[in-house]
Amino acid sequence: MPIVERSLVEVDRTETLVLDGVDVSGDWNAFLRPRVVTDLDSKIVDWVKTQPFGETISRCWQCGTCTASCCMHSDYGMSEFNPRRFIYLAQIGDEKELRLHSDALWRCISCNKCVERCPKGVKVEEVVHAIGRYLRATGAAPESPADRFDRAYTENLLDRGILDEAALYRTYEREEGRQLPLRELVRTGFRLLTTGRLRTGPLAHRTRGWRKMRSVLRAQLQVDEAKAASGGRK
Amino acid sequence: MIAARGSMEPVPAFYPGCSLDGLGTPYEVSTQRVLSHLGLHLDRIVDYNCCGATEVKSLSQDVSIALPSRNLSLARSAGHHQVVAACSGCVYSLARAHSVMNEDGKTRQRVNELLTRGGAPPYDGGAAVQHVLEFIYQRAGPDGVRAAVRHPLAGITVAPYYGCLYTRPKCYTGVGKTAGTDNPEHPHFLDELLVACGARVVEDFSAKTVCCGGGHALSDLEVSVAFCASILNEAQQAGADIIATICPLGQVNIENHLDRVRAAYGEGVVRPAAYFTQLMCLAFGSSLREARLADNFTRPDRLFRSRGFT
Repeated sequence: MPIVERSLVEVDRTETLVLDGVDVSGDWNAFLRPRVVTDLDSKIVDWVKTQPFGETISRCWQCGTCTASCCMHSDYGMSEFNPRRFIYLAQIGDEKELRLHSDALWRCISCNKCVERCPKGVKVEEVVHAIGRYLRATGAAPESPADRFDRAYTENLLDRGILDEAALYRTYEREEGRQLPLRELVRTGFRLLTTGRLRTGPLAHRTRGWRKMRSVLRAQLQVDEAKAASGGRK
Repeated sequence: MIAARGSMEPVPAFYPGCSLDGLGTPYEVSTQRVLSHLGLHLDRIVDYNCCGATEVKSLSQDVSIALPSRNLSLARSAGHHQVVAACSGCVYSLARAHSVMNEDGKTRQRVNELLTRGGAPPYDGGAAVQHVLEFIYQRAGPDGVRAAVRHPLAGITVAPYYGCLYTRPKCYTGVGKTAGTDNPEHPHFLDELLVACGARVVEDFSAKTVCCGGGHALSDLEVSVAFCASILNEAQQAGADIIATICPLGQVNIENHLDRVRAAYGEGVVRPAAYFTQLMCLAFGSSLREARLADNFTRPDRLFRSRGFT
């Protein structure tokens, strides 16, 4: 049988031979070069597995239930947001392609339909967030608005143990460089204050005996953030 | 009779969370009223802390487990085996922590060490987490609710909006896996309770379990507004007068984006939204003021006033 894919034949196996006046030159004893794909890069998967619930990524069998269920993909209609594909790209280690999706990756709103429905028990929501964090940790993607919000939120709640929503809104909008809509704020703020729905600044709630917990959790947060950043560089 | 039934079972702890103490005050007030009407009791956790919602976990796993675990362990120290929360986000993060602390020994050890160093009791994994809707349904049920109704919500058509994290995901909440829980794909507890209150519930409300985009209310405005608009739009299509919510994030998100939705999609899609407990309060005979309906930015009080409620 002729071998069509010439590039796979090792050259030194090609023999020139004439037997009883018949030219039988050809690929005798030809061996094909191994065709196992070796350029798969496990570095993204390895990193994702170090993240909480990241190890569930290996259970994925690419059925696409997550994508079909996804609020962002199916309800909002952002076809670029495709968790099945994000997992696939992470599994084959295609960082270049993932990078092209870095503006979609952070948009998961954690509605958990994917986790609910995944037949293999992949914690898709956590895995997708971990893939996004990988890109950020390696410097392949810029910090997203959601990353900045998560940080502002965490810092705000660690301060007193209880969230100060108005302060969070102020800090975050300022960080994003957006102008606060003063007139609207005065109107809603007044309504919220008079209906007892706003506790901010000196009125804000606080958890009693929180100070000790705060310093322990802040220290842990620093350790984990440093670990995530260095893990990505490896 | 209902009171006797309620008092026989152990009293669970109530986790209010930051939202019920702030923007969601009408939710807490109306929830307490509903519970006392039904003869049910919950012990409020004292000195609770914020559960971290879905935000903290992208920065640190251990902190995201430690925050809810502190609340659960406070409930355990007060002798409770069950924690009830009214915010779906809180239910998610408490249930997530509960499940991790029970299943992952290494994390449990690390987190308990953090808790001890921070001056809180370690968590022994013994407090199951439940949404207040499920609690009311299980303890009182539609029959118990029907018996307590004084002023049926006749002529009011409600779109029951469950949102995302009430049942999801079942690996944490156990909803759909354990007996007496709701159906995660087609939840119906809220439908049944509202019908028991005399309201009509829309049949085909396809946005029932769609996310409101509340997690990205500030960071991804466009998406968040679109989700709120689609919920309001579906409710309008289904012919609802009002949307019943079970999560302060969903309620506040709809209120917050109302002007933007109005600007983009017109006045026609706008519907008032109220916590389901506010509607139940009204049915149990509370006044509009007692149910705190005028506190909502969407002003559901106007709808009820026009239908003869005072």
